Amino acid sequence: MNVDIQQLKSGEVNLGTSIMAVQFDGGVVVGADSRTTTGSYIANRVTDKLTHVHDRIYCCRSGSAADTQTIADIVHMSLQQYAQSFGEAPTVSVAANYFQTLCYTNKDNLSAGIIVGGWDKDVGPSVYNIPLGGGLFRQPWAIGGSGSTYVYGYCDATYREGWGRDETVEFVKNTLSLAMARDGSSGGVIRMAVITEDAVERLFVPGNQLPTFWEGLEVLGNSSGAKQPAVEPMAVEV
Amino acid sequence: MSAGFDFSNHSRNTFLSEKGLKVPKATSTGTTIVGCLFKDGIVLGADTRATEGPIVADKNCEKIHFISDSIRCCGAGTAADTEFITALISSNIELHALSTGRKPRVVTAMTMLKQRLFQYQGHIGAALVLGGVDPSGAHLFTIHPHGSTDKLPYVTMGSGSLAAMAVFESSWKPDLSREDALKLVTAAVSAGIFNDLGSGSNVDACVITATETEMLRGYVKPNERTQKERTYGFRRGTTAWTAEKIRNLVVSEEITPIGGEEMDTS
Amino acid sequence: MSQIWKYVRVTPSGGRVRGVPARSSTTSISLPGTPDHLSSQSTLILRFVMSIMEHNGGSVVAMAGKNCVAIACDLRLGAGAQTIATNFEKIFPVTDRMYLGLAGLASDVVTLREKFRYLTNMFLIKESRPLEPSTFAHLVSSTLYERRFGPYFCEPVLAGLERTPSGSYKPYIVGTDLIGCLNFAKDFIVTGTASDKLFGVAEGLWEPDLEPEDLFETISQTLMNAVDRDAYSGWGAVVHVITPDKVITRTLKGRMD
Repeated sequence: MNVDIQQLKSGEVNLGTSIMAVQFDGGVVVGADSRTTTGSYIANRVTDKLTHVHDRIYCCRSGSAADTQTIADIVHMSLQQYAQSFGEAPTVSVAANYFQTLCYTNKDNLSAGIIVGGWDKDVGPSVYNIPLGGGLFRQPWAIGGSGSTYVYGYCDATYREGWGRDETVEFVKNTLSLAMARDGSSGGVIRMAVITEDAVERLFVPGNQLPTFWEGLEVLGNSSGAKQPAVEPMAVEV
Repeated sequence: MSAGFDFSNHSRNTFLSEKGLKVPKATSTGTTIVGCLFKDGIVLGADTRATEGPIVADKNCEKIHFISDSIRCCGAGTAADTEFITALISSNIELHALSTGRKPRVVTAMTMLKQRLFQYQGHIGAALVLGGVDPSGAHLFTIHPHGSTDKLPYVTMGSGSLAAMAVFESSWKPDLSREDALKLVTAAVSAGIFNDLGSGSNVDACVITATETEMLRGYVKPNERTQKERTYGFRRGTTAWTAEKIRNLVVSEEITPIGGEEMDTS
Repeated sequence: MSQIWKYVRVTPSGGRVRGVPARSSTTSISLPGTPDHLSSQSTLILRFVMSIMEHNGGSVVAMAGKNCVAIACDLRLGAGAQTIATNFEKIFPVTDRMYLGLAGLASDVVTLREKFRYLTNMFLIKESRPLEPSTFAHLVSSTLYERRFGPYFCEPVLAGLERTPSGSYKPYIVGTDLIGCLNFAKDFIVTGTASDKLFGVAEGLWEPDLEPEDLFETISQTLMNAVDRDAYSGWGAVVHVITPDKVITRTLKGRMD
């Protein structure tokens, strides 16, 4: 059998995404862009791909919107059931294992790449990556979605252990901005969540306030910095 | 009879298509359906054209379906699928309301719809705009055929969604008045009617607030057919026929008692 | 019902086909800017690939009039381009004042006719009340939708008189697609291999409030003129005009080619 699980079913809604989660001393920062596409059409430009699955556990979704929403709904239910049965909050590891089981057992029918991040009282902050085939990997930081391929090098070169909250948030913001700038299927705004023992803090960066980097303007035959001739605006008949 | 779908014709139909006879595609409707949040609730809008390929099959069909008193659902995609899935969820929502003793919520309808559509992996071709008001407020969702959902303040779906979204993106503001929201929805659906070939005829609208639901069927009719100046009536006897059979029907019955007393039925 | 066309490369170029080709008709069309790889010697041909719905041929039309409805069908039964019979009626009585027309694959026409006869009888036994067209329409619709993923290749048309609470009758016509999506119309419903043509003719000829005899002329002329331009329908027709007090059934003379 030759099944291409990367291939979306025709007309399916896609989260061609940039998502990431980074662990720091007191907690985890999860972040995502906000673009949902059907083909070349942006079906939702303010999507929230950071999905709450328990009090201190969030997941970042990439792949098929339908598949990942369904998986997140099922895990959300399972974790509520877990909390009722055992009388205590589930660990991030438990949540990640629920995700992994669903993604692995149904791998022929799903296109879902999920990053789970959160805080629990056993190990503190932790980040788990569950890529397409249904593997489960604990990582200090994880990136995912179509946009992530552009920023692996940046993350490898930039990430340092022992960061605090603010540095981690800046790292996530910068990484996602770079990914969104290069990946056509990512874009919109940046949504983030800082998960610590005490609270979950939601952060939002509007599309016109994204951090910018070198944008190449000075190379286009104008490295001297000399002033460009003014361009006449196009005449428009009113 | 058991519930659910009957697949017993499937193998025959596969055989027929392998013989080289093309299996007809299920009729799909090009559509413009929209929804928008305003100060006091939700306005839904839809065009009224149903198509079978290039043919306009119905010039005035209803695409805003009933879910409950204060929840409605616009349907695009395979016409029969939108018709039946909304009827089914409407029925289940009523049972749910009866068993919980509470007013049904929009998220409940949304969850029922998305779970059923996901179960059928996109084979039920229904693209929906679900809107309504419940005790937790006004809610507006889009539901795609594969079962993914989005919650947004203004939404469009169907083949005319791009034209309609262009109107929303340029003019929508938070906290619109009822009149302005209705005007905006009309403009969005009209953009679909006039710029998308799959959409046409009239604008249907539905205004849902906490206190009442107003279904405005044929709210705007920008494409009324002009009166014919003459008629094409044929003179009686134009058509030659070879045989005639007339079946007379019983129009009224009269009961005549024929002797004896009526039976005592007291 | 839309036909399926396919581009086929044919050498040398053909003209419009005279004489009936087996199971398909080919018509050449000139396309501006023919791609290089389909150069000079070969010509792009639009070839009609027959679908299951077209295999047996046949068409049905229903129209509403003033206090009456009419429903008509052609009489051809074919197997592709070959005509098998010219007495295949596609309209069946359901109740006194309601007739059901079934166009499509003949085996499914017969199967559905029997199925609806059974369902009608069961309804009358279980409910002991008259079966009204609006009720029967939903019975048809759900019966077809039950087979959403393995449909009958049949698009029914229903014409009847619906009893109002005041005791009078009002015209009721409805059509469905092959998976049971109801199409309520005030004017007319068409289906079958000549549906495209019927749409055009009916759109021009139909007018509101026709008396039974005038409705007969309009529906007859609509059907006859439409099927004369359809290779897969024709060979005579049957028209039923339903009024509150009688049903007039007439067999029409038509072209036999």
